[in-house]
Amino acid sequence: MAKWGMVIDLDKCTGCQACTTACAMENNRLPGENWQDVLFYTEGTYPNVSMKWFPRPCFHCENPSCVSVCPTRATYKDPEGGFVLIDWNKCIGCKYCQVACPYGVRFFTDEKAVVQPDIRDVFPAKDDRQWDPPYKGPQDDPSRGIGIQPHGVVSKCTFCYHKVSKAPEGVADLDEDIPELKEYVPGCVRVCAPKARFFGDLDNPESYVNKLIADKRGVRLKEETGNKPQVYYLSGGAAAAVPGLRSMKDKS
Amino acid sequence: MINTSKSNLVFIVAIIGLIVTAALVLFNLVSQGHAAFNGSNLGLHWTFPIVVYDYFLLTSTGLAMIASLMLIFGGAHCQPLVRRCLWLAVAGLVGGVSVLALELGYPVRAIWAIPTSFAVTSPLWWKVMFVIAYVVVLLITVNLLRKPGEWPAAARTSAILLLLAALGVTGIAGVVYGSMTMRPFWSSGDVPVAFIFESLLGGLAFAIFFSYLAHGFSQERMSAPLRDVLTGMLPKVFALAIFVHLMFVGARALIGLYSNAEGLQVWQYLAGTSLFHIELWAGLVLPLLLMLSPGLRSNAGSQTLAALLVMISLFIARYDYIIGGQLVPMFKGAWAPELLSYAPSFTEWMLLLMAIFLANAIYVWGEKKFDLSWCKQA
Ligand code: SF4
Ligand code: SF4
Repeated sequence: MAKWGMVIDLDKCTGCQACTTACAMENNRLPGENWQDVLFYTEGTYPNVSMKWFPRPCFHCENPSCVSVCPTRATYKDPEGGFVLIDWNKCIGCKYCQVACPYGVRFFTDEKAVVQPDIRDVFPAKDDRQWDPPYKGPQDDPSRGIGIQPHGVVSKCTFCYHKVSKAPEGVADLDEDIPELKEYVPGCVRVCAPKARFFGDLDNPESYVNKLIADKRGVRLKEETGNKPQVYYLSGGAAAAVPGLRSMKDKS
Repeated sequence: MINTSKSNLVFIVAIIGLIVTAALVLFNLVSQGHAAFNGSNLGLHWTFPIVVYDYFLLTSTGLAMIASLMLIFGGAHCQPLVRRCLWLAVAGLVGGVSVLALELGYPVRAIWAIPTSFAVTSPLWWKVMFVIAYVVVLLITVNLLRKPGEWPAAARTSAILLLLAALGVTGIAGVVYGSMTMRPFWSSGDVPVAFIFESLLGGLAFAIFFSYLAHGFSQERMSAPLRDVLTGMLPKVFALAIFVHLMFVGARALIGLYSNAEGLQVWQYLAGTSLFHIELWAGLVLPLLLMLSPGLRSNAGSQTLAALLVMISLFIARYDYIIGGQLVPMFKGAWAPELLSYAPSFTEWMLLLMAIFLANAIYVWGEKKFDLSWCKQA
């Protein structure tokens, strides 16, 4: 079985946020509660300042702390494909997974809206879902955390499970340039204009993602946590970089 | 003997307070959902309700530990405190769990989803399992000692099980936070042990304070055996417990201020807040000095004051620990400040008051129903 993984080439990423927008459309995200986000930050002090950015989905860790802490097994690692998913029918909204994810990529969206006015007031849902957007993604699978997020539960990026899991068996890479495969490519990968994102089977020695990781020394974020992300960054020279620190200030 | 008209008054005040605060909380939760709390996806996931819940739960286990230690080792002279501690443990437990129920996304689902999941890798799963065991053994023990009189033989066995369950709940509550290595402010091997000592200290403070409250803050109104405990062994044990807890607090603060680890910057911030200094100096050092002084140690006023200050200090400590562990966002980024800021919302404050009123209503009801002050006169 495949172990799906992503490579993000930070030398190519322009921080355009097309991935963020595509993900929000594909997965009916509330404004500001982005499963896929690009973080911007500045480094250095004036006049030697540089602007940095960092695209960040859920990393679908090989050893996910969110899975091991969940008291209901609502968050689970799908053995077929290595996706980390949430069963919304089992989640009790304890938020332990949010606390335990070292990457801050999980969302409990019952709180005050990040972006005002609150779109949930504009498109209120009749059932227990967060809202009722005029366009809805074609997929709805609460047992995998796909569809419009219900109240009281946590959500996160699914690696576009609803697309990827339908890919023909045995393919090494899901690339939007291969016409017969493009429907299975995750939304963020498919729209990336500078082609900074690659998606493929980390267990397949022939996959292009494995080649990129090996040839360009792919790195993973916060290796010290032991979570072993299935998202690798190619970090080299230009502007974007894997941020090493959480804080910008010195201790003094 | 307890003054019935006074306890009736306390009971009525507690019930009215409970109705008002619960109505406010429920109204806000129904109309605003979890937006009534000041948590955010920037990093503050567990906020004031979790502080209140853990404070009440761990006070409850601390009281149960003290009651069971007295039952196991204390002999007859501990008798006047045991039933009060046990019933206070029940009151604290109900207060805490009710707050958690209002904080969870799906509290009813939790009742079946947690026990049936067998999620053995989750510290929270173990915590819930221990809480279930704790509730059962606590109720059995309370039932065994329900009627004034000699302790039945089974009470000792029950007390041993209660001690184990209470230690389990408290220790695992420490693991819930201590195992979060991605949050250095929380993570440390000593956290479960620190939680146990903190709970014991809280239990002692509550036992002392509520014993005085039940007797109009006067030793003259107490039975001779109760007075003997309160002026003899108990303040010395209290002083020792404050000292041990102070060591844990001091050691963590010093290491936090010294370390360069990401996430521990929060110690610099905390050390600059007045809350931390109230916790440390007014809430621990002053009570310790009061309890070290042979003249003041057995005095009703200084004991009550020391107990009250420790109760407040432990609440601040719980707040600083739970909130502090989340103040440094997991990532730097334009959207996240260096340190998140947080203050409890109105609804969150009301939850604290609700828990206090609820716990007090249950406590006073038990006082009237079970004669918690009963003891065999020497
Ligand atoms: S990035 Fe966070 S939420 Fe995603 S799998 Fe890893 S630990 Fe879980
Ligand atoms: S919030 Fe839901 S998914 Fe997360 S740990 Fe709790 S039950 Fe599991």
